[in-house]
Amino acid sequence: MAFNVTEVLEIPIGVGDITVESLLYFAVILTVGVIIARIVAINVRRILAERLPVNERELLAKLVYYGIIVWAFVVALPQLEFDLSGLLVAGGVAGIVIGFASQSVVSNLISGLFLMFEHPIRIGDNINVADVAGSVEDIRVLSTVIKTYDGIYIRIPNEKVFTSNITNYVHNAARRFTYEIRIRHQDDANEAIRIAKEVIETHPFALKNPAPSVFVDNLGDYSVNLTAYIWAPARNWWEVRTDLLWKIKVALEENGIEVPFPQRTVWFADGLEVKGGSGEKNE
Amino acid sequence: MFGRYRGTFRRECGDILVEAESVDGLLTYRRRCEGQTFERILVSKTGEVVINPVEPVNLPREITDFLLVEFSPMMIEPGASRTVYLKFPVEIGVFVESARDIEVLDVFASGTQKYTLYGSPTSGIIARYYESAVYPEIPQVDPFREGVMELSLHNSCREWVEVSRVVFESTDMKIYYGDFVAATATMKVLTKTMAETDFVDAPLRPGMVKSVELYTARKIPAIDRGYLMEWGF
Repeated sequence: MAFNVTEVLEIPIGVGDITVESLLYFAVILTVGVIIARIVAINVRRILAERLPVNERELLAKLVYYGIIVWAFVVALPQLEFDLSGLLVAGGVAGIVIGFASQSVVSNLISGLFLMFEHPIRIGDNINVADVAGSVEDIRVLSTVIKTYDGIYIRIPNEKVFTSNITNYVHNAARRFTYEIRIRHQDDANEAIRIAKEVIETHPFALKNPAPSVFVDNLGDYSVNLTAYIWAPARNWWEVRTDLLWKIKVALEENGIEVPFPQRTVWFADGLEVKGGSGEKNE
Repeated sequence: MFGRYRGTFRRECGDILVEAESVDGLLTYRRRCEGQTFERILVSKTGEVVINPVEPVNLPREITDFLLVEFSPMMIEPGASRTVYLKFPVEIGVFVESARDIEVLDVFASGTQKYTLYGSPTSGIIARYYESAVYPEIPQVDPFREGVMELSLHNSCREWVEVSRVVFESTDMKIYYGDFVAATATMKVLTKTMAETDFVDAPLRPGMVKSVELYTARKIPAIDRGYLMEWGF
């Protein structure tokens, strides 16, 4: 028995007049569309690699990618004898049904679009959102991917990101951090302030302006408490913070200014009688 | 030290040593500056090593494209123009160049760096900070530490203005070198708080050689559009 390809292609699949051939055409057009979308998106990323910030680049690449796929889908639909004008009529009812069914999906999608255009966060930013702290790895259409500082992958639906309080640690150009430095009561606080300022001045990323501020904040039980306010570039503040404190401590100790231990002076009403002096043995 | 070298070479100036020598048949680039060393094996037949001053915004790490020079305050009369000379920090860039491509090999500098915020923390910019005196003539400089900037100031607004700092976008910077490192820049005061700055692509003295720019070697497209100082000067 001879195998006739044409006959096979013309076999109806049982839905309207759709044949195997038109189904194949639909699949081929869609596959070609996806391949073209991938190639174009990769090239968009490559060409714009050093010309656009990663956020804008990814957004553009995704828009191009999904745009081509939607275009391919629309081109392929007539192969399934799908009348797009009919879709408008049926769309009303179907839209309500699909709308209810995919409420959270649509909500995430819309939130994702707002996130992409409003830019409260960008790829690479250090953020805290919905009690998750880390750096933004990707802002997708439906979700945002965060890599925590422990290197753990967390996917948060965009709706949750959009409706939560977002703390973006690197949104501004500069940020301030604080040190509390304790010195003994007998140490010269002015000298300690001068030394601390000198050490801060040597760090390239401890900003010249706004100038760092070091001052006596309060007099503690056993220490004079100095506070240092230091401004650093928002993307480099952690490195400055972890680098400077030890240097300040070392510089203070080199100049005879020490961090005090907790201590309490005790006064005895009748004076303190010392027993067990040299040569005396307690039993 | 600045110039083009092919094959092995050795240049030493003060505490800076830059050399390319053959080690076990491998051409090795080596740099030593203030106790820090950097080494790379070069695999090249026709390539050249280019050493020249570059935009001073790369060390200790590249975090900005802006340079802010602060100087003694000057009061400028409405409509007045004046050319003064400032000093700016110099970083030394080492490139490897072949007929088809150029790439950054090393960037180093003597001395320390400092950064500052220009504008507000929310909308300002981070800039490399440098303090200079104001000179009426070209000052003496160590070409491996500082360069000379010829700054043409013009007050185009109708009021007296006080100027004590100037901010540039480093991608506009055109550096020339000869006996010393130089750049030519302009600052046009537009209002009491706004000024426009830009670099002029011209040598300060005839015969100076133009430096290879870092952003060119890094293939970063840039449009020379100057910089608008919006947060005062």
